[in-house]
Amino acid sequence: MSGPLNSIRARLLISGVLFTIVAVVLAALSIRPTLDQFVRRNVDASLESQISVLARAVKSDGSLDQDRIQSVGPFVRRGAGWAWVVKGPAGVLRSQTVAAVEPRQGEGPPPWPRPERDRDRDRMPQREMRPDKPPTAPLKESRRWRSRSGWNESFYFRTLTISTSRGPVTVTAGAPRYIRDRMRDEGLRPLLLSLGVLGVGLLAAMIGQLELGLRPLRKLGASLAAVRAGEQRRIEGKQPRELDPVVAELNALLDHNEQALAKARSHVSNLAHGLKTPLATLAVRLAEPGRDPDGSLASLIAQIDGAIGHHLGRARAASPGAPGRPALPVRSRLDDLVAALSRIHAAAGVRAELDVAEDLYVACDPQDFDEMTGNLLDNAWKFAERTVRVTGRREGARVVLDIDDDGPGLTDEAAAAALVPGSRLDERGQGHGFGLPIALELAELHDGALTLGRAPIGGLRVTLALPARSAAEA
Amino acid sequence: MRILLVEDDAPLAESIAQALREEQFAVDIAADGETGAHLGATETYAAAVLDLGLPKQDGLSVLRGWRAQNRPLPVLILTARYGWTEKVEGFKAGADDYLTKPFRVEELVMRLRALVRRSAGHHGPRIVCGRLTFDAQMGGFEFDGMPLKLTSFEWRVLSCLILRKEVVVERMDILEQAYEGDAGGDSNSLEVIVGRLRRKIGHEMIETVRGRGYRLTAGAA
Repeated sequence: MSGPLNSIRARLLISGVLFTIVAVVLAALSIRPTLDQFVRRNVDASLESQISVLARAVKSDGSLDQDRIQSVGPFVRRGAGWAWVVKGPAGVLRSQTVAAVEPRQGEGPPPWPRPERDRDRDRMPQREMRPDKPPTAPLKESRRWRSRSGWNESFYFRTLTISTSRGPVTVTAGAPRYIRDRMRDEGLRPLLLSLGVLGVGLLAAMIGQLELGLRPLRKLGASLAAVRAGEQRRIEGKQPRELDPVVAELNALLDHNEQALAKARSHVSNLAHGLKTPLATLAVRLAEPGRDPDGSLASLIAQIDGAIGHHLGRARAASPGAPGRPALPVRSRLDDLVAALSRIHAAAGVRAELDVAEDLYVACDPQDFDEMTGNLLDNAWKFAERTVRVTGRREGARVVLDIDDDGPGLTDEAAAAALVPGSRLDERGQGHGFGLPIALELAELHDGALTLGRAPIGGLRVTLALPARSAAEA
Repeated sequence: MRILLVEDDAPLAESIAQALREEQFAVDIAADGETGAHLGATETYAAAVLDLGLPKQDGLSVLRGWRAQNRPLPVLILTARYGWTEKVEGFKAGADDYLTKPFRVEELVMRLRALVRRSAGHHGPRIVCGRLTFDAQMGGFEFDGMPLKLTSFEWRVLSCLILRKEVVVERMDILEQAYEGDAGGDSNSLEVIVGRLRRKIGHEMIETVRGRGYRLTAGAA
């Protein structure tokens, strides 16, 4: 997975933002009709109260009781655009605004004048307001006005039709559309603002929530890093319930790793200690009179013991490689090893040829050097028919040793497999597999290299390169 | 001087036993922890050589067992484990000395002799009783300044007596120090050995304490 969805935070954030926006928009959309309805009910109430006042002035014969005609509620506000009209057999009576502009016949409610144009008439409200003025226009019936309420393009009105002995009287009251719009907008604006604030608040809360919610993950990461840095052994501290299984698994994994490491170390340790008892026996037997007159065998035992101790220590410390390696004389070390191996493999009758200059020095721990070259020579001895040849030379900053044998050698696949890092520890078979990985590992530890090839004398060539030192550093 | 050797590796045990016998020690071998613990708790030894990795009962717990029973037996731990942690643990369990494998036989012998001498209360290596001198470190006897030639049995009996000079040593104690576990000695054979020793160092130096045992004494002093 890639892109922004590769992050839990981004996922939650994106989905949260989308859901919030959708919710807020839906809320805004549903508020508008609700508010419309509310405003209309309000307007209706105003209109109806005006209509009911006017209706009371309608006498049973269809004439109007002039004294009882009055404007109430918003109708008293001049210029607000509210208006009423009473039509009956006696004629038409309008509120002051109606008097100015006659609605066009057949076109629904009259186009009430806009309030700003009414401003000049505001100065004479009382007179205009008074309905005792005789109607100036003949009474006209309009069936279209009989509906109880309705709209024309700019007006909202309600109509009451009263039956009288001389015919129906219609009382109509109306409010301009902009009144309703203004009322609705006045209600809508703070609501939308609140919704906006709510939306922003939700988003902020979400970001905070993400921050809070993802903090344990960050803490877990830091905890893991501390484990890796060796500052702590396991993932400690209280975790949110949801992370408990993850932490439990991680700790189980850490424990398992630790056990595996302990097991590996214990195997190394057991191997080393297992060697020490027969070595002790050997030493005791060699101490019997006449067995080792010049003490050379005892010194070999000491050498073996030293090697065991060295690697036992390394396995314990698990921190290989010491700084400040001394310059090691390659030739004399190899001479010692060859002498030892000639005795170990005395029965094989293999002849060793050393072509290594006296002035070659490497930067290497002496025991590690012995371990590497000893393993390689030991392998060569095991596989050689008659000859083991070691040639050494300096190539730039490195000393390169070729250890050749005249045995069967390795196929390319076997050679490749012999150096696979994963096979280092579990290769316990006969032959090259045992010594090579150890030598490779040590070579790498000492910034060296180990490669396999074909020896000119027929068998395997193992090339060991180690950082060179000059004799002056010895 | 009889040594208890607790070592499960038979070739090593045999080799050590042989090397120690060359140096006049009597040696009993226990091949596992349980046998070793039992022998150390019931028999009298001059010292014990104890391996740590043992079958049935590990060396440290054998040692702790002896110490819990207040056995004063000097114990030398002989082990492949050479780390300091293990050494400290060994000493805490009551070991008197510690030697790691592989080791030099001479070193083992020297350390054992030193252990035995110290446990008998002698601080210096030379123990003198009249005209008789014992080099507890090198294991040699001198009489009137001349090396004294002794058989193994004679050496064991005389070393046992001189380590506890001027004190009556029970017959049974001497026998236990002189004979290996399965060899078994009796009072008669002990009397024969003591008789031979008297001929070499003079009758008056070894007193017979009737019904108890023998006492090595400087004599008139």
